[in-house]
Amino acid sequence: MKRFLLIFVVFGLLAFGALSEGKFLRIAFDAADLKTLDPHLAAATMDRAVVDMIFNGLVRYKPGDISAPFEPDLAACWEVSADGLTWTFHLRTGVYFHPFPGYPDGYELTAEDVVYSLQKAADPGRSAYAGEYAGMTFVAVGKYTVQVKLQKPLPPSLFLPKFADYAGGFIVSKKALEVLGDEGFRTHPVGTGPFMFKEYSPLEKVVLVANPKYFRGSPKLDGVIVYYMPNLAAREAALETGSVDIIEGPPEQPWVEKMRKKPGVIVDTFGPGECAVLHLNMSKPPFNDIRVRKAVAYALDRDELRLTVGLDIAAPLCSPVPPLLPGGLTCEELGKLRYDVDREKALELLAEAGYPNGFSIEVVISERAEYLIPMQNIQAQLAEVGIDVKLKVVDHSSMHTLIRQDVNPIVLYVAWRPNADVFLTRFYHSDSIVVTGKKPDTNFSHLGGVDADGDGKIDSIDDLIEAARVELDPEKQISLWKEACRRILELVAAYPLYIKQFVYARSPKVDYGYELKSSLALYPPINELTDIKG
Amino acid sequence: MLGYVIRRILVSIPTLLVVLTVVFILVRVAPGDPARAILGDYASQEAVEALRRRMGLDKPLWQQYIEFLGGLFRGDLGRSLISGVPVAKQVSYVLPYTLELTFTGIVLGVLLGVPLGIYTALKRNRLPDYIGRTFSLLGLSFPTFYLGILLLLLFSVKLGLFPSMGGGRAGDPVDRLRHLFLPALTLGLIMTAYITRMSRSAMLNVLNEDYVRTARAKGLRETRVIFRHALKNALIPILSVVGVYSIVLIGGSIMVEIVFSRPGLGKLMVGAMMQRDYITLQSIMVIYSVLVVILNLITDLSYGLVDPRVKYE
Repeated sequence: MKRFLLIFVVFGLLAFGALSEGKFLRIAFDAADLKTLDPHLAAATMDRAVVDMIFNGLVRYKPGDISAPFEPDLAACWEVSADGLTWTFHLRTGVYFHPFPGYPDGYELTAEDVVYSLQKAADPGRSAYAGEYAGMTFVAVGKYTVQVKLQKPLPPSLFLPKFADYAGGFIVSKKALEVLGDEGFRTHPVGTGPFMFKEYSPLEKVVLVANPKYFRGSPKLDGVIVYYMPNLAAREAALETGSVDIIEGPPEQPWVEKMRKKPGVIVDTFGPGECAVLHLNMSKPPFNDIRVRKAVAYALDRDELRLTVGLDIAAPLCSPVPPLLPGGLTCEELGKLRYDVDREKALELLAEAGYPNGFSIEVVISERAEYLIPMQNIQAQLAEVGIDVKLKVVDHSSMHTLIRQDVNPIVLYVAWRPNADVFLTRFYHSDSIVVTGKKPDTNFSHLGGVDADGDGKIDSIDDLIEAARVELDPEKQISLWKEACRRILELVAAYPLYIKQFVYARSPKVDYGYELKSSLALYPPINELTDIKG
Repeated sequence: MLGYVIRRILVSIPTLLVVLTVVFILVRVAPGDPARAILGDYASQEAVEALRRRMGLDKPLWQQYIEFLGGLFRGDLGRSLISGVPVAKQVSYVLPYTLELTFTGIVLGVLLGVPLGIYTALKRNRLPDYIGRTFSLLGLSFPTFYLGILLLLLFSVKLGLFPSMGGGRAGDPVDRLRHLFLPALTLGLIMTAYITRMSRSAMLNVLNEDYVRTARAKGLRETRVIFRHALKNALIPILSVVGVYSIVLIGGSIMVEIVFSRPGLGKLMVGAMMQRDYITLQSIMVIYSVLVVILNLITDLSYGLVDPRVKYE
């Protein structure tokens, strides 16, 4: 009897040993571990989320709405010289970096830190975003004043995003990097944001605590715990049991519907999302023939694809630059360049191009649902016009390597880029052609390197992209970008499919503190206004 | 005995070298790039190339191999390509979690499996035997991750008794035990199935032996016949199956760590694999191989404890 009593007591202790953690918001990401918390290297969702809470930019996107005008962040105000070559940022005073070894109270942010940070962001050996800052010099002209000098003027729409709270624009602490080194900084980041790094438990979590000296005021939360949970069932269980407050969901409609039915769960889908675009390799048969590419465009039904992926997940996209960004076009604006589904016409075009019985291609595709599910639907739709697509499913990392080796006749790519210039340059400028471009990148269609329409001349939109890049009149700039989009669609270098929204589920107790429409940080941003009610 | 242990360790070195070489080649043959994995698809090729150089991935394969082996001989596992943290530090942090999980799983398996095996053998072809065999068959055919999810849904989501995630706070044994219970139970139940099956068949073999019949004829109590005469002789096959399935269990712990979001070697390995973190992956394989060698050695040495005929020379 005594033995049973002992077992009962031990079991009870194990089962009900409660945790008391203060007012901490707990968020679980689909990841085994963090990769890096150096904001200039962070690219994965779970890393971007953490650095977003720790760092600030000189300017910032409005929380929850990236389409709104930029707001002041570490810079109280800014101006540009008459010739457009010098931008001057006036920093806020009294902004403090978080404490770190040797600096138990942190220290005040000055222009010296900003210059150091921007120089780091521009260094290809220390930043993933160095290309964004090519040709720029950064000068501290006072304790709280920084100037950025350009070789060519840039319009605000292209200049300010580089200095916003995203990617290379995050401002790091010079002294912390000197103390911790680049390696140490990756797992002990020091910034000026609403939350401070406290602890990293490998493969489990990162703990952030509120920054009481935050210049916008002390956060409502005591802190944030970021968990790394690659198993979806485990994340769901954690949300249902109240072990976490927010979880990253898969971009899958059945999951969204299942979670919406659960009591005490709210599902958020928000943008800007990632653009799913089918790039057609014009350098090789059969897609070197514009009639074949048009046949593919007419064979595909966007609505069917959106239904397959899910209407909550897939928003309409008909333009290479999404309509949310200046320079993008809505489906209505595009008219016949939407290539509304017409399989009879597709069959005629194929016959005209010498493929009356269709043809067969092999396509490498990622095992991730966000790639595989739409690609399987594309496979089924193209089979309707006799195009046999054989899928070779590989892991995600392998797909990224292989498509950059130009192995695919068609490439499904799902990505977001911060503005029209980056979208057009990285995917359609001749310098970016995979393997053979001057700076090989993600131009999978080879636009700018081949005769796309069969008139014997190389077809390119390089001139439009470059002209728009230096155009200071916003209206003219937008018009050039739109023209570039139309040209891409006329040549059928790519066929935009849909915009994939981000999916998160949360407890109704979580109040973000702002209206969530879109976030470049790839998660519902947690800031000083975020709270847990009840 | 010491000579035997040293000889066994020396014999395992070539095996370890072969495993390491195969792993070294395989992780690099697979397409995928750690630099791209770190920087993401937005990074320019220039930035990716710069990072590859910094990581030393532009060096010839043979040079990377020699550096890897050289590091191992010096006891240096290198630094993670992704996080930059020394792999030894990462491993020393997660290894206790994996060891406590697998060890508890093994202990649970032995504590439940051996008595259940004996009991079903004694009740051969009767209802308890059928139930035990069905349980054993289910355990053998259940994927570890599926059993883990079922236990998680029952004990965490429905009953709210145990935490569904994490490894527990360091320095808080009660919290660690709470977090260990469900993952260890998952592994323990699988292990129980294996051990029950083997214990039953080992017991059935010895129960038919003459010395058992003689013991019973002498009028000894049944418990004495079972535990003193039968079980002692059945222990050798049971021990060998415990050894073999402990190695299988280490593999099973990978999925359990993922399902219960526990830190551990398995979770570290899966993350390293997805991100092509060659250095971490190689080092984890070293650790796993060493664990397998140690477990085999312990199994072999334990034979001597239960069978006086076994001599280590």
